[in-house]
Formats: sequence, C-alpha cells, structure tokens
Amino acid sequence: MSPSVAVVGTGRTPYSRAKPGERVYTVDEYIAWAADLALENAGLSKSDFDDQGFGLAHAEAAHTVNWSAATAETLGLSPSTLIRADQGGASASALLIRAAALIEAGVIDRALIVGADTPLSIPSAAPGLPLSPERTRGVFWDYQGPFGMMGATAQFALIKQRYQHQYTLTAEQCGKVAVTTRFHASLHPGAIYRTPITLDDYLASRMLSDPLRLLDCVPIVNGGLAYIVTSAATAKKLNVKPAWLRGFGEANNYYHGGRSRPDVTATGYVKSAPAAFARARIKPTDVDVFLPYDDYPFIVAMTIEDWGFCAKGEAGRFIEERNLRFDGDFPLSTDGGQLSGGQPGGAIGGFAPLIEAVTQVCGEAGARQVKNVRYAASCGFGGIPYGRPGRSCVSLIFSNEA
Amino acid sequence: MLVSETTNKPLPEITDQTRPFWTAASEGRLLLQTCTRCGTAHFRPAPWCIQCGCRDIPWKGSKPTGTVYALTLSRVVAMNLAGWQSELPVIMCLIDLDDGARLYGQVTDCKPEAAKIGMRVAAYFEPIAPGVAIPKFKPA
Repeated sequence: MSPSVAVVGTGRTPYSRAKPGERVYTVDEYIAWAADLALENAGLSKSDFDDQGFGLAHAEAAHTVNWSAATAETLGLSPSTLIRADQGGASASALLIRAAALIEAGVIDRALIVGADTPLSIPSAAPGLPLSPERTRGVFWDYQGPFGMMGATAQFALIKQRYQHQYTLTAEQCGKVAVTTRFHASLHPGAIYRTPITLDDYLASRMLSDPLRLLDCVPIVNGGLAYIVTSAATAKKLNVKPAWLRGFGEANNYYHGGRSRPDVTATGYVKSAPAAFARARIKPTDVDVFLPYDDYPFIVAMTIEDWGFCAKGEAGRFIEERNLRFDGDFPLSTDGGQLSGGQPGGAIGGFAPLIEAVTQVCGEAGARQVKNVRYAASCGFGGIPYGRPGRSCVSLIFSNEA
Repeated sequence: MLVSETTNKPLPEITDQTRPFWTAASEGRLLLQTCTRCGTAHFRPAPWCIQCGCRDIPWKGSKPTGTVYALTLSRVVAMNLAGWQSELPVIMCLIDLDDGARLYGQVTDCKPEAAKIGMRVAAYFEPIAPGVAIPKFKPA
C-alpha cells in the first residue's frame, strides 16, 4: 500500500523562558510565526490554505468555545475544514491522523496544523501565576487538589514509584536519558537548555517528589510549532523532501486491567504502537530513530517497552545497554527532547517529537542527523488521568520512502 | 475547585452530584457510588458506571480500610497552593480501598521512610471547611 499523505513542511519558533525584559509574544503571534516557518519550509503560502484544512491544538490559553474558527479569523485564513484536537501532548499527532483521513477521503488536499502556548505568561501552573480553569474545573480537580495532590510531578511520581516496585529501573538508567537529551540539545540551536550535564549532576539535582528529581522534569517554555500535511500528488509536485506517514495508531483512556484499579505501569502504546507497526508493515528493529514524548525519563522507559523495543520491565536494562546518542545503536530524542529542548505547555510539546521525526527522515537534522534514516517513529502522549499515566497515546511512523 | 482565601489550599466546589460524599465525610463516613448492576465502586463521582455504563450507581458506605498501591513524598508546593508549605513533606499515596476503588490520599502519623507500598491503612476525616472533610489515612 502506497502511503497517502506526507508532511512537507515544519516550523518551530524560538522558545522563551519569559525572563524579565524579554518580549512576550501572544499565542496568536506564536501561531503565525510557526505557520510562517512551516509555509516557507514547504514553499507554500498562506493563500494555499484557503478552502483547505486548518488544524489547531487546544492550548491552555484558549477558552473560547470556537477557538479554531476564531484563530482562522485572527490569521485571515478561510479554511473549508477546521480540525481541533484537545488531547494535550497527543494533539499534534492526533491532528495528523485526522488530517490524513480527510485527505484520503478527498475532503481536502492539504492542511496547515499549528499549536502554540504561553504557559509562563497566562494563568497556568507556572510559578507566581494563578491557576487556569484547565487546572481547576469540575469533579476531576475537586477530587485531587483538596486531597493534597500537587500537580503533574506528584502524579507521575506515584506512577514511577509503582513501576519501580514491579520492575527494575534505576536512577542511573533514568539519568542516562536526561544526560543524552541534554547532549542532543547541545547540538540543536533551538533547544532551551544546551549546556551538557553529567550523571552526577542528575543524581545531585534536588528531589521534588520521590522518586522524581528536578532533572527528571521538563522545563516549561513559551513557543509555537507547526507542520503541513498534504496528499501524495501534491507532495510530489513540491520542491521538498516528503516525510511519508507510513503508520499510525491511537489509544485513548486505555486501562491496563480493570477500570477501577488498573495496573498503571503500562500505557496506551501497548495498543497504538502495534497498530502503527502493522499499518507500516515494519518491526520495531526497523526503526532508525525514536522520538518518545519525554516529559520524564521513566515515561521514556515505559514508552520504549510498550512500543515493543524490549520486553515489559526490561527498559531499564535496554537503556543501560544501548547507545542512545544520534550516532549510537538506538538514537533517542535527537532534538534534545522536551526534557532539554523545552515544553511549550503540556498541550503543545507533542509537536516536537513529530517535527524531529520528520526532520530526521528528511535528512535535515544537521549536527545531530542520524545516518541513513529510513524509518523514524514518534509519540504523542497527552493528559494525566486520575491515578494513571497518559490519557491519549498516539504512535506515528514516518519514512522517506513512499 | 476553589482556593481558600484563608488557608490558600484547594477546596471542592460542592454540587448536587458531590454533596452526599462531602457531607458524609464531614460526619466521618466514606461513601462510594456503587453500581447496582456490576458492583463497581467509584471513588470520584461518575455520571454512570465506568465499567458497565449503568446509571443506577447510588452512594453506599465503604469500609475505611485499604492498602497503599503507590506513594511519593511531595517536598515542594506546586500549582501555587502556598498553603501546603507548612505541611511539607507530604506522603501522598494511591490507596486501594478494600471495597474496590482507588484514590489519592495522604498518609499521616507515619515516618516517610516507614511508608511502603503494600502497607495497610485506615481512613480518618479531617475537616477542611464548614461541612466539608477529606479522608486522610493512618497506618492500620
């Protein structure tokens, strides 16, 4: 089966930690900036997306009921089809699946997909700012905050502790992921933290919520990202290297075991990754570069095994034994990941692994380029359900071969 | 979720859906919505049974005992709820109740190094506002 769609352009704005004196951009400005970079990268213009698709990842900044249409208005776009995803860190990947289906059905020929957020400048979870409605509304929060649950780090710390109770995963193994992403960030001009760290730095970083340390956590940034997806016919007409979408799979609200007391040590990738491999007709060993959603190194470990790169519970040893660098035998998070690259809010960070997979497949990763990439795999991971790991797990496989 | 102006800690927004839980908790009882069809117990109020979809899930008393499924020692205040600062570090757990649901709960009256997965715990109720209490847990 010949792949029906390809990503033909990407854009990632500079990220900001919103330090005093820095120009503060709005979400709309970041969206336009990222879209501009993606259009330039694809050799297309804004008007090419009138009567086509426009996709928008829900941001924490957005609270209007028709935000995608309002954003089209802000940008002066007149799309025939709006797609909006509200799957947090899985939105970028989910939007690609939606756009691919619309293209395959002949509804549209192409779509401009954007996402941006400014969590350091709006009500959010950032220090010194009030909480956003996203983090306070409804029964879900009424049954967490008052009980003493203090945000994502504590929520994920519980999952990691349970994982370490059932399987072996050492601080050194997690630290290797953090050190490797920082090394890759040193090779990526757009990464937010580029000074290399050592395993000792990781081990010495302060404990926030046992067993999660400061250097286990993603740094939040302001920023925007975008990509362009189109039909095979149009992709071949453009003067670009297409990244063909060869496989995808998606699992939302996956329970590993019963619904009221599931095993929390496995993620929805146990469903979405095999689906992606089956569609691409390849095996895990065919993947040349892997871009997990790396909000925490232990999530990377769970992701590696749930994708089937090793057996369940073996990820710690796998990480220890393999060379995770771009020139190693299991290149991982070659853009510095979100751990060192930065996370433009929990809703938008998911663009980064997709865009790096496309960049690697097209051979445009510069100093961090993996040699002879045929297949790149990336992850979307979004939402923190009550007492479990990710609400949405999306698996994508790209290739430079149609 | 509201934030108390006096304590700067989170408070629930009480609705017709959730009032039975909070009222019972303030009286020292733990209620769970329990499915009349399949018996699934829900800690968080649900609009129907998350297992079988049955909408007949009346509130039912639950045994206040359970087992620690996972735990963490929260050492920093997140989400700007500065009111927690004086209580840190907090032993935050996922607790599997004997009657079938799992919930986030703090374990108190226990040294952090003594808290372990698999530890037996029992609920007690701490008032956090007039007519509102939360279950916390002690080693049992």
